Amino acid sequence: MQARNRTPMVLTILVVAFAGLAAAFLSDSWGYPAPRAIIPPVDRAILDPATVRRSYADLVRAKEDLSDFDCYACHEKGHPPPLRYDGNQKLIVPPEHADVVMGHGTHGRNNNCFNCHNENNLTTLQPRDGRELKLEESTQLCGSCHGPTYRDWDSGAHGRINGYWNTKLGPAVKKDCVNCHNPHSPRFPGRKPAPGPHPLHPVAEPAQAVEAPPTH
Amino acid sequence: MSRRSFLRTSAVLATGLAAVAASLKPLFEMEDFTSAEQFMQKYYKELTPDEMAKVLKRIEREVEKQYGVRPHVRDLKPMDGVEFVYALNLSRCIGCRKCVHACVAENNQSRNPEIQYIRVLKMPHGTFDLEKGDHNYDTAQVPEKGFFYMPVQCQQCHNPPCVKVCPVNATWQEKDGITVIDYDWCIGCRYCEAACPYWARRFNFTKPSIPADRLNPEMAYLGNRPRKQGVMEKCHFCVQRTRAGRYPACLEVCPTGSRKFGNILDPDSEISQILRTKRVFMQLKEDVGTNPRFFYYFDV
Ligand code: HEC
Ligand code: HEC
Ligand code: HEC
Ligand code: HEC
Repeated sequence: MQARNRTPMVLTILVVAFAGLAAAFLSDSWGYPAPRAIIPPVDRAILDPATVRRSYADLVRAKEDLSDFDCYACHEKGHPPPLRYDGNQKLIVPPEHADVVMGHGTHGRNNNCFNCHNENNLTTLQPRDGRELKLEESTQLCGSCHGPTYRDWDSGAHGRINGYWNTKLGPAVKKDCVNCHNPHSPRFPGRKPAPGPHPLHPVAEPAQAVEAPPTH
Repeated sequence: MSRRSFLRTSAVLATGLAAVAASLKPLFEMEDFTSAEQFMQKYYKELTPDEMAKVLKRIEREVEKQYGVRPHVRDLKPMDGVEFVYALNLSRCIGCRKCVHACVAENNQSRNPEIQYIRVLKMPHGTFDLEKGDHNYDTAQVPEKGFFYMPVQCQQCHNPPCVKVCPVNATWQEKDGITVIDYDWCIGCRYCEAACPYWARRFNFTKPSIPADRLNPEMAYLGNRPRKQGVMEKCHFCVQRTRAGRYPACLEVCPTGSRKFGNILDPDSEISQILRTKRVFMQLKEDVGTNPRFFYYFDV
């Protein structure tokens, strides 16, 4: 008799428990990992394969402002600008050429403008071997002094080739020296690195967690 | 059975079923359920061209459904007379990490959580001990004095330990030297991840997420098609690019020109020239006998 009386109670408890479980499952109250910190998509500039510098040839192709290269807008034909030096034999670059910051080689060993520019026709280049080169042909100029690097570049070991490794399927574009080196101060510039990996389980705030450990 | 006990029993049964149904909710939320079609799919190497064409259509459908972008999925085979080799110039690399992100963009890796194939190690001068490398550096400017930078990715070994341990042959080496993964065959046991001495394999612990506007629609079956939760992935030398004759994405963005890639069987390729003329070479962890197709060199 006692068992019979207990049945309704047990069943009620079961119904309540099941209903509670169903509600809990539906409400997502557990079983889902905490949402991860949002990782912002990287700046598209990082994905841009452009070289660090645009050469004269690039500007011509893009039909952009070439006034910097219009030497005879300011200079007079047949009167090459004189080079001026300070007391330390350091070349003085006039303020009109503020974008020309010289620093070619240790101690500015190759700062003399007419090592590269043609004294008699400023719109061309002239390597020491006497050839006259168009501004688009500056790689030949660099090669006249940097023979071994030029050979490496020519074989593809120095510099960069974009496009197709298999030239039967598409074009390969070899980047010029001046795409990566500023001819006036050719040392490769440093830059800010793109973001590093975000930790899977951020410790505190994600911004803090990605900070590099102290360098030794 | 009395009317009362029937009502009682059905009340228990109904709430019980409701609870069971509610507990299955996460299953219904899963979008990338393996379709019956994929489940019945044959092993990659046994698929006929017709069957492959159907598989590619299925993938295109699935990707379009999920991302709203119609992709172009191909099954690119290795080319005859081609074996790929990579070389990286350690005297040039400045550690800017552009390659890391170009790789992610090209290969449709998950953005959150983040999966990256390339790890750039900042190494103190005078050592090649990978344990001394730090890949979390976050300085205002690179390169830093006293360090060099060493990007590490899948080394495409001649003798790949990851392939040997795979219990289901979901990863294998193709004749152009690329070790590939069939994401539809992978069971996610992660043995390969443990076997790789270069920490080059990545696992999708959760459902990968890629913003639709960042999806690269130019895809290959063994390459950059989107993965699902529970499968391995890794660098495959961008098969969707390189087997179509193009350079890999990491090389294309390198501002310093440190990355070199090409066909070692072509004596005139730049990679052949480099291996012939540069004198200082190394393979990572040479002593473990994996014989990588990825070389590090110095300009001297
Ligand atoms: C905006 C006007 C302007 C343009 C354009 C211009 N220059 Fe000049 N440049 C000057 C001035 C002004 C000086 C200093 C006065 C002088 O010595 O004649 C100068 C001086 C020079 C010098 C001597 C520098 C020195 O250190 O003493 C060289 C070389 C030179 N220019 C080359 C060029 C070349 C090559 C071009 C074209 C690619 C060019 N300039 C275009 C205005 C210009
Ligand atoms: C190492 C060779 C070299 C030397 C030395 C050199 N230049 Fe140049 N210069 C070039 C080349 C190459 C270009 C074209 C670059 C390009 O394609 O972007 C150029 C471009 C220019 C331009 C036009 C673009 C600009 O940056 O405004 C000016 C002006 C110029 N040089 C002035 C000078 C002056 C003045 C000097 C000396 C103080 C000098 N250069 C020394 C190689 C040289
Ligand atoms: C007239 C000869 C000459 C020409 C032309 C020339 N260079 Fe140089 N370059 C030098 C000399 C000299 C050095 C210094 C070498 C040294 O200090 O050890 C140098 C150094 C360099 C360096 C090393 C970085 C540095 O500043 O020490 C780079 C990079 C470079 N040149 C790039 C170029 C490029 C690019 C061109 C073509 C636009 C070019 N050079 C044209 C003579 C030349
Ligand atoms: C893809 C970019 C790129 C191109 C193209 C390129 N270089 Fe460089 N070059 C570099 C980098 C990066 C360095 C390392 C420079 C540094 O540490 O300052 C370098 C270094 C150099 C050096 C210094 C010596 C050395 O080997 O470290 C010279 C000289 C040089 N380059 C000349 C050239 C010449 C000449 C050309 C064209 C024939 C050229 N480069 C084309 C990126 C380039």
